[in-house]
Amino acid sequence: MEKQKKKVKPSTIVIYAFLIFLVIIYIAPIIWIAMSSVKTRAQIYKAPFALPTEFHWENYQVAWSAGKLGIAMLNSLFVCVITLILTMLIGSMAAFAIGRMRWKLSGAAMIYILIGMMIPVHCVLIPLFVRFANLGLNNSLWGLILPYLTFSLPTSVYIMTGFFRSIPNELLESACIDGCSIYRIFFSIALPLSRTGLFVTGLMTFVANWNELLLALVFITDSNKKTLPVALTKFVSPYESAYHKMFPAILIAIIPTIIVYCMFSNQIVDGLTTGAVKG
Amino acid sequence: MDKLLRNKVAIFLFVAPAMILFTVVLFVPILTSFYYAMCDYSKVTRSYTFNGIENFKWLAKDPTIRIAFKNSMFFLVFSCISQLIMGILLAGLLTNIKKGRNFFKNVIYMPCVLSSAALGLLWAFLFHAKIGINSFLANFGIKGPGWLYETKGFITLPMWVIAFVALWQYVGQSMMLYMAQISGISQSLYEASYIDGATKVKSFRYITLPLLKPMIGTAMSLNAIGSLKFFDLIYSMLGDKTENLKMDVLATYLYRTGFSSKGGNHYGRASAIGLVLVVLCLLATVIINRIFKTENYEM
Repeated sequence: MEKQKKKVKPSTIVIYAFLIFLVIIYIAPIIWIAMSSVKTRAQIYKAPFALPTEFHWENYQVAWSAGKLGIAMLNSLFVCVITLILTMLIGSMAAFAIGRMRWKLSGAAMIYILIGMMIPVHCVLIPLFVRFANLGLNNSLWGLILPYLTFSLPTSVYIMTGFFRSIPNELLESACIDGCSIYRIFFSIALPLSRTGLFVTGLMTFVANWNELLLALVFITDSNKKTLPVALTKFVSPYESAYHKMFPAILIAIIPTIIVYCMFSNQIVDGLTTGAVKG
Repeated sequence: MDKLLRNKVAIFLFVAPAMILFTVVLFVPILTSFYYAMCDYSKVTRSYTFNGIENFKWLAKDPTIRIAFKNSMFFLVFSCISQLIMGILLAGLLTNIKKGRNFFKNVIYMPCVLSSAALGLLWAFLFHAKIGINSFLANFGIKGPGWLYETKGFITLPMWVIAFVALWQYVGQSMMLYMAQISGISQSLYEASYIDGATKVKSFRYITLPLLKPMIGTAMSLNAIGSLKFFDLIYSMLGDKTENLKMDVLATYLYRTGFSSKGGNHYGRASAIGLVLVVLCLLATVIINRIFKTENYEM
């Protein structure tokens, strides 16, 4: 039997050509910075787009120590992990009370929290800064965690409320008949059943806070307490010429996210989209 | 069961932490912000003196706020339109190809999770005067424009550059929202249209687009608020040069008025700018939802 060759439509070729062109636009800048990061300053200046002929890995060491990126990464990690845990805990507790428990003001409480979604952080920047300066919370990582937590709560409460409402009543009732307390119902039944929601809110919270710049820029001036985006913008400036130090710094800042993203890209994309659709 | 769910103590324990945080970190500061907007802050005595609507009068006269407002409006309009077109185009293409959908989707979405500050710096180097795109163009004897410091024109070139970088970074988000909506459209609608002789393009025009409408409202308000709050990319790409180059947007101007070493600490004025920003965000959301208000179709 003759093998029938499938005819490729010209429109398909155009679509793929366009998509591949887009992929190049997306990946080329990162490859360029990776290539340039192992060159010397003179080489970058002479031929910015040439492949590196020799590899100056010591650039990374210089950037790492001169830019204080290690401590900045630890600070970012500390702030983000604490915010993540607190947001998931406080957010889902409030969501459970609003979504599942019966009290008169639950609707009002929801509206109160949802208003928070509309408020841009810029509006409270100055009052918070003044207040925190009085309390000695500026230049402290806890001074960052508090606003991050507050601004992450509305979306997480909103999303978790949806998940808690979708739990069938029978499940909670049977637990109740078995003699569970309300706290037990929440922690051992409602929470595990809403794992997807926890994952989505956790992801959104972490990504948003890991990349947050404005608040961190205003609140933290102590160079040992800077978070990663702040340390990076302070260290790297397009108007200076120590390229061989700055390029590795940019790469160091985005590489962890890229690695995690490549490993779990499908879950991350779907999770964040669910969050955006619901929020 | 009912008794359990009406447990007042439990409700209080569950809701209290969130409510306290909200009140202390969000609502009290917002009210304070209204008050600060009507005050003059003195750096020396660290005190606030009430001065009524002086700050707003100053804002109305200030030439920089006009530039900032103009640029913010530009970003708002540009991002709404460009994200709408590119987002729907990409979503339409990706739902219609058979191979590699996940790959393309994941690559285009990637910058959304990366730090704007780092990506802004990366692009700033690509648009650098000596290294980057201009040196590439120089190979062909073309003298590239000053991508990030040209000051001519109503909307200056750097604003266009940054707007495109923002599109590059965030179009994945819109694309995913539209894809989620498209995947909810029943396949039978398409099959019926193919039987009636519709081409893929036609079924996209007459089935997909109308059914996307509810999502357009959501995606566009996200874009609008995001572009009004726009700070990271501009700050990282232009640094503190925004002032000399007349490239402020509302958020960078707020930051500069309140906290930069040169701008002084005009907390009162900065609060006034913050209020303008909040009002704009609310207005944009309301208007967009008005325009795209639709009954949800049965799909």
